[in-house]
Amino acid sequence: MTHVVSESCIQCKYTDCVDVCPVDCFREGPNFLTIDPDECIDCAVCIPECPVNAIYAEEDLPADQQHMTKLNADLALLPGWKSITKRKAPMADAEQWKDKTGKLAELIR
Amino acid sequence: MNHPIETEALVIGAGPVGLFQVFQLGLQGIHCHVVDALPHVGGQCAELYPAKPIYDIPGIPFCTGHELVERLQQQVAPFKPTLHLGQQVSTIERQADQRLAVCTDKGQTFLVRTLFIAAGVGAFVPRRMALDGLNAFEGSQVFAEHASPERWAGQHLVVAGDADTALQTCLDASQGPQAAASVTLLHRRDQFAATPELISQMRQACSAGRMRFVAGQPTGVRIEHGRLQALELLNPQGENEWLHLDVLQTCLGLSPKLGPVAQWGLAMDRKQLVVNTENFATAEPGIFAVGDINTYPGKKKLILCGFHEATLAAFGAVALLRPEEKTLLQYTTTSTLLHQRLGIA
Repeated sequence: MTHVVSESCIQCKYTDCVDVCPVDCFREGPNFLTIDPDECIDCAVCIPECPVNAIYAEEDLPADQQHMTKLNADLALLPGWKSITKRKAPMADAEQWKDKTGKLAELIR
Repeated sequence: MNHPIETEALVIGAGPVGLFQVFQLGLQGIHCHVVDALPHVGGQCAELYPAKPIYDIPGIPFCTGHELVERLQQQVAPFKPTLHLGQQVSTIERQADQRLAVCTDKGQTFLVRTLFIAAGVGAFVPRRMALDGLNAFEGSQVFAEHASPERWAGQHLVVAGDADTALQTCLDASQGPQAAASVTLLHRRDQFAATPELISQMRQACSAGRMRFVAGQPTGVRIEHGRLQALELLNPQGENEWLHLDVLQTCLGLSPKLGPVAQWGLAMDRKQLVVNTENFATAEPGIFAVGDINTYPGKKKLILCGFHEATLAAFGAVALLRPEEKTLLQYTTTSTLLHQRLGIA
């Protein structure tokens, strides 16, 4: 099992989650954070940190977010997606995007 | 180096499961010592969700993390565990006499026959500023640990952070016999997570010229003659500027880090300690692992599962420590012996 970042994170990247991760398993892309499933220890500490509730235990992923498990794993392997361990400012338009759904088309790899 | 402490049992981690381990060992007549990296007990319950509700503790329909820790402290009080707080276990080594030598980063050594690792998701340690080249100055010019005035007396001090500790450190350093030559508070934006009182005190100190605030994101360091001279900042206007300093104190809060657990030579699966489900022992004789740090088929990271694990681990410890005694199952309701141990006889 692992924990998974759902589409809610796209265009927001609040990054509160990375501060609490005990094993530094978050990876940062241009407009999304992903969890490296090989590093995640399922401690669930990140779940309540996310201001937009983007993070789920794999088995709790909503039906319309099932595809994100594989996407998280794939993105974590991309060479450009580096480890992020310290919180930083969210994306400039995070406020406008945080409640939007169906943001997958916006994802930049 | 302190004199080694010889004890039958040592618990690593004073979170809910570590505390309940103390209780269960106490019922078995085993006194124990407890080590935790935090300066207080409670682990995640105290550090991550003290005010948040917990609904799944048997017999307690609702309590907060803080309340659970308080109740557990009451429960373990009769067994008077010896607490060693604010220190982290760094090494564990097997001795020739089969005991384990457990050393902390504060130089305390324990010689123990049974060890209970209740380390949760790891030790809560100060978060460090992630900046290339900064690590080299850790301990000489850059400090993340508890702030102390002798580090900055008469020096140009930069304090990074936005919460109570950062602001209080600035205020403390700006006055008194050990005042810094100058105090600069550094945070990425002019918005703070501290109490309103501290924020207003900080703003007053700034307008009185006792300190200043600089908004910016550190992006680099300037090193000259082996000394850290300045931090490079990206300011909110998107420009680079240099912030000169003698001493950098970071107050960026705490975060759990699995840390040295992985180097103790114990079998791990996905960074968790592999145990059996009979008594939650690892493959190393005398070393048990309970709570979030362990893994076994069907493992669920719930506090209540940790309580169960600690109970059976305590029985496992008795079997090791007193092999000649038959381990009897006794009930706290009826057992005179348990009442004596609980101090209610």
